[in-house]
Amino acid sequence: MSETAIYVLVLSLYMLMLVAIGIVSSRRMRSSEDFYVGSRNVGPWVTALSYVAAYFSSVVIIGGGGFGYRFGLATFWVAAINVLVGCTLAWIVLGKRVRQFSSRLGTMTVPGFLAERFRAPEARIIAAWVIALLLVIYNVSILKGMGHAFEGLMGMPYELGVLISCVIIVLYVSLGGYIAVVWTGFFQAWIMAIGLVLLAFAALHAVGGFSAIAEKLAVVDPGLVNTPGSWGWAGLISFALITSFGVWGMPQMLARFVSVRSTSVLRVGTVVVTVGGAMAILPYICGAVARIMYPDLASPDLAIPTLTKNILPAWGAAIFLAGVVSAGMSSFASIQITASSAVVRDFMVKGLGRSLSEKQTIRYSRIAAAAIGLVSLAIALRPPALVLVLMAFSSATIASTCLWPILFGLYWKRTTRWGVLASMVCGLTTTLGWMGIGSPFGVHGFIPGLLVSLLAIVSVSLMTKRMPEDHLAKVWGQK
Amino acid sequence: MGPFHLPWLTFGALIVIAGSIILAIAWSIWGFKNGEDQ
Repeated sequence: MSETAIYVLVLSLYMLMLVAIGIVSSRRMRSSEDFYVGSRNVGPWVTALSYVAAYFSSVVIIGGGGFGYRFGLATFWVAAINVLVGCTLAWIVLGKRVRQFSSRLGTMTVPGFLAERFRAPEARIIAAWVIALLLVIYNVSILKGMGHAFEGLMGMPYELGVLISCVIIVLYVSLGGYIAVVWTGFFQAWIMAIGLVLLAFAALHAVGGFSAIAEKLAVVDPGLVNTPGSWGWAGLISFALITSFGVWGMPQMLARFVSVRSTSVLRVGTVVVTVGGAMAILPYICGAVARIMYPDLASPDLAIPTLTKNILPAWGAAIFLAGVVSAGMSSFASIQITASSAVVRDFMVKGLGRSLSEKQTIRYSRIAAAAIGLVSLAIALRPPALVLVLMAFSSATIASTCLWPILFGLYWKRTTRWGVLASMVCGLTTTLGWMGIGSPFGVHGFIPGLLVSLLAIVSVSLMTKRMPEDHLAKVWGQK
Repeated sequence: MGPFHLPWLTFGALIVIAGSIILAIAWSIWGFKNGEDQ
């Protein structure tokens, strides 16, 4: 069988499985709660592994390998902080309260939670707009990553890779909603893990074992073994912080907590998500090995594709490509369902006050999910310069707008409506403004955005009137 | 120099990953013993 035939066979089987999950899930669709949060009845393994799949996109696998190639073993710290903060602590700190509070307030989305928790309809509108617009831009970057993965690993034209990926995702998300997203995410996490483990084992075998990596890398450049090495503390810490703490403010990740069957799911889930998240270190290991074996690549982003082509047999490379595509698709699908909920539930129903039946809500949600996917596709085929700039900031901007309002909403009773609104506006404008003036001192816009919005939420909340006690008692389950 | 010929500071990242897994297991066991389902 030719190499191309193996790729086509593996990927066709994989994509058929995704569409089948979409069709099966669509038969269980009764209400908008089914479409957005799977009737709040999802178990620990599916929730945790779909969280891992949504967390690590194809950009992380290919880009992570590039970072490992460029900066060496200091990148292990990015994986470590991703596991500790982005997985374990996120589940411990946020999981239980997000599930409890969203249930008591009768909300399914982040904009809905902010509006009900703080009695602030304005927060719903700001969050819905930020989420819908910036998540679409974020999706473009994921689609681009998948297109380049097809191009680099299989030789398929970029446009065709983007088109195939997008059509398949739109199909299963529009049909099956959240249930399809988490179940496909569950399988995609396994495919990612198998692909990454295959590549990592082959890479370690090729280089002579794990101990040999540091020895041989030090010969290429001693800075590639030390921490922070050539990256420097500022770059390492800000990157690790953005990719881990930033997740706490990402609505598509928080949706996992809203949808769990009960808080007991979170106990098993925390262990599963931590062990699953540990695979984040594998792309960095592979990138470092690529630096030893191919020290003169034209671009660090070629590290993973070059390694895959040279050390894996055709079937292994095909499985790895399916893993990379899985990583992208799961992140894209999670975002699509979240952005769709922002448009239909938060903007159309709550914002514009349109009254929709359950059937109409599902129909509009499907249309919105498909439209969001197609808009992302249209932009990804030929991304304009502005979109390319915004991509780097889209996830960080959403996180700096939503992170403190969510966290303080869960833990600090003294937080007020005006404090939250000030925090959202300050976080949003500071991050975008910092980007607009060219990110001074090489500091990512997320950092000042986060600091200013923290200052705003604390100071404005202390200066304004406390939320009514009966409302707080209801939210905290004290009556 | 730490295990696997890694500098201790770099090896610390692997300790953090292992520590996260231990923390998750400990929190999970504590939750099963003391928590109530909601």
